Amino acid sequence: MKILVSFKSVPDPNDVTIAGAAVSTPKSVINPFDEIAIEEALRIRERAEATEIVGVTIGAPAVDEQIRAALAMGVDCAIRIDDSRALDPYAVARILSAVVQKEAPHVVIMGKQAVDDDSNQVGQMLAGLLGWPQATFVSKIEFLDNKTRARCTRETDAGLEVVEVNLPAIITTDLRLNEPRYVSLPGLIKARRKPIEALTCDQLGVTVRPLTTVLSIARPPKRAAGTRVESVEELITKLKQEAKVL
Amino acid sequence: MVCACLTAPPRACRVAVYRVYRVTPAACGSGVAEAVRDGTSGSQADGELNGMDFAWSDQQRELLDAVGRFASQQLNYNVIENDRDSVFNHDAWKKCGSFGIQGLPVPAEYGGLGMDPLTTVAALERLGYACKDNGLLFSINAHLWTAVTPLVYNGSEAQKKKYLPGLCNGTIIGGNAMSEPNSGSDAFSLTTTAVKKGSRYIINGSKIFVTNGPIADLLVVFATVDKTRGPDGISAFLVEKDSPGMNVARKLEKMGVRTSPMAEVFFENCEVPEENLLGNEGGGAFLFTRSMTWERGCILASAVGSMQRLLETCIRYANERKQGGQAIGKYQLVASKIVDMKVRVESSRHMLYHYGWLSGHRKAVYLEAAMTKLHIADCWVKCCEDAIQIHGGYGYMTEYEVERELRDAIGSKLYSGTSEIQRNIIASMLGL
Repeated sequence: MKILVSFKSVPDPNDVTIAGAAVSTPKSVINPFDEIAIEEALRIRERAEATEIVGVTIGAPAVDEQIRAALAMGVDCAIRIDDSRALDPYAVARILSAVVQKEAPHVVIMGKQAVDDDSNQVGQMLAGLLGWPQATFVSKIEFLDNKTRARCTRETDAGLEVVEVNLPAIITTDLRLNEPRYVSLPGLIKARRKPIEALTCDQLGVTVRPLTTVLSIARPPKRAAGTRVESVEELITKLKQEAKVL
Repeated sequence: MVCACLTAPPRACRVAVYRVYRVTPAACGSGVAEAVRDGTSGSQADGELNGMDFAWSDQQRELLDAVGRFASQQLNYNVIENDRDSVFNHDAWKKCGSFGIQGLPVPAEYGGLGMDPLTTVAALERLGYACKDNGLLFSINAHLWTAVTPLVYNGSEAQKKKYLPGLCNGTIIGGNAMSEPNSGSDAFSLTTTAVKKGSRYIINGSKIFVTNGPIADLLVVFATVDKTRGPDGISAFLVEKDSPGMNVARKLEKMGVRTSPMAEVFFENCEVPEENLLGNEGGGAFLFTRSMTWERGCILASAVGSMQRLLETCIRYANERKQGGQAIGKYQLVASKIVDMKVRVESSRHMLYHYGWLSGHRKAVYLEAAMTKLHIADCWVKCCEDAIQIHGGYGYMTEYEVERELRDAIGSKLYSGTSEIQRNIIASMLGL
């Protein structure tokens, strides 16, 4: 079985500066949800259910650092789609669908969303474009019937939902699927010899143009300090008149 | 012209002469210093620069960053409790093994990373910076320099294949047994004996201050096959845990590096198969001297990292803590201590890297290893004292994690040859 994992290079969530519509960081990292996707692919291979893991990301050569981190974790080889534009989810899904057609994986695993834009759309759009089944917000994956189907446990607001999808399929990962491993020094050294293929959208035969534009980004407003109420009556009054939740 | 000569001699006139000593390690182990004069001109040929590059490569930087990230996030739990209770952190040892620390200097064919000495000491420095469990690091150092290194250099192919992969990946813990109750600095006066009987050696004697003794799976044990031959009779043996006749006795309580277990080990008709002789019969003194040179040069790499951490802690504290209406760092007496710490860290680091560079270029390092060890040990203890002084009463409290550093540091003036022994070595290398 061949697994394609897609990952996005995002600003280090612990260290970002916001100015206008731009988020800058001294250090980029692999999107934490995508790291969970990579980890899951590695575990599937360690269970001898997969033989090959291909990583794919989109970006300028600077994202090679995150690609090497993925290779150091254990991904076999990687493709970088050379495009430094700020792409929206639909553009990303279109590019990834071309990569999927080229690589023909049995399953695509990716994070449910990226922590920088929180769009949570690429996996769903990719499934739509390919006409593949999808299982999103997944916290457990099992392969069934000689790896022709996958049983996925999804985390929803109502609780856990178990779905089965025929392969090939798109699976997006939730936080509790696993805890990603640490890059080991041998992994780091091996990663230096693993191939990174750089492709342009032209070479893939796709033309994408962002359909949405980000106008501005702002930090959430600071929450005001709470107040102490003297009685239940006062609390109810405040909930009705100030918070307007009752 | 005259003026120019008086004010500054032209570069070409300045001839830097320095001495390089080459050690011919005699079997007696004290080493015969052979001074080789090496004169180099300070002039540079037409813009050609001499090779001296202090920059790390991208790959080295990547590796060092990975070590720092790993250690700061994976190794710093229960450090205060483990120190109080003298508990070795087995789990952290295994994590270090799978991460690759124990394999740093070991050739890749035996399961290691095949790093050069400079990269190795830099990685250990970063480990010392990010990991606060000095006892764990001391155990790792003992393992690397007293068990792994002798195997890499003197092990037979079969011995290397058998033990090195496990020693690298964290499944086998190593150590050595050299010191005896009456043989410390005068190491080659040891009295433990090994008598050949058929295809086995029978070892009898007692060893003390065996680092990793209570947890070791494999010990490099030094014994004499013929007391009358003096140092030429000393031989090294690979002794596995639970060998019949080997008894790891009393665990030793100590002042610092309390998370690194130490024991007294007795050998009573302990049988060791002859294929476990490490190196040649009588080659133990040379083997020991070589592994000690490695140990002296590298064992305090993590101390440099620890000093850097203390320095940063002190700068932070001196900026935050206010007394008499200003940050205490504004008082010259405090600032001066921190400045001295900074100079100690930097000088230690340069000596460490220089040792690593020389070692990697297969230059003689007997002298440099002793100087590096001596200097870093002194600096480390002084840094810790100053750090406590800067923190005042808080520094004396266990929860501030400064007093533990001092207790951990003091042993560095004793192990791998006391500071006095390092001075003896340096004096002898200077022809004194």
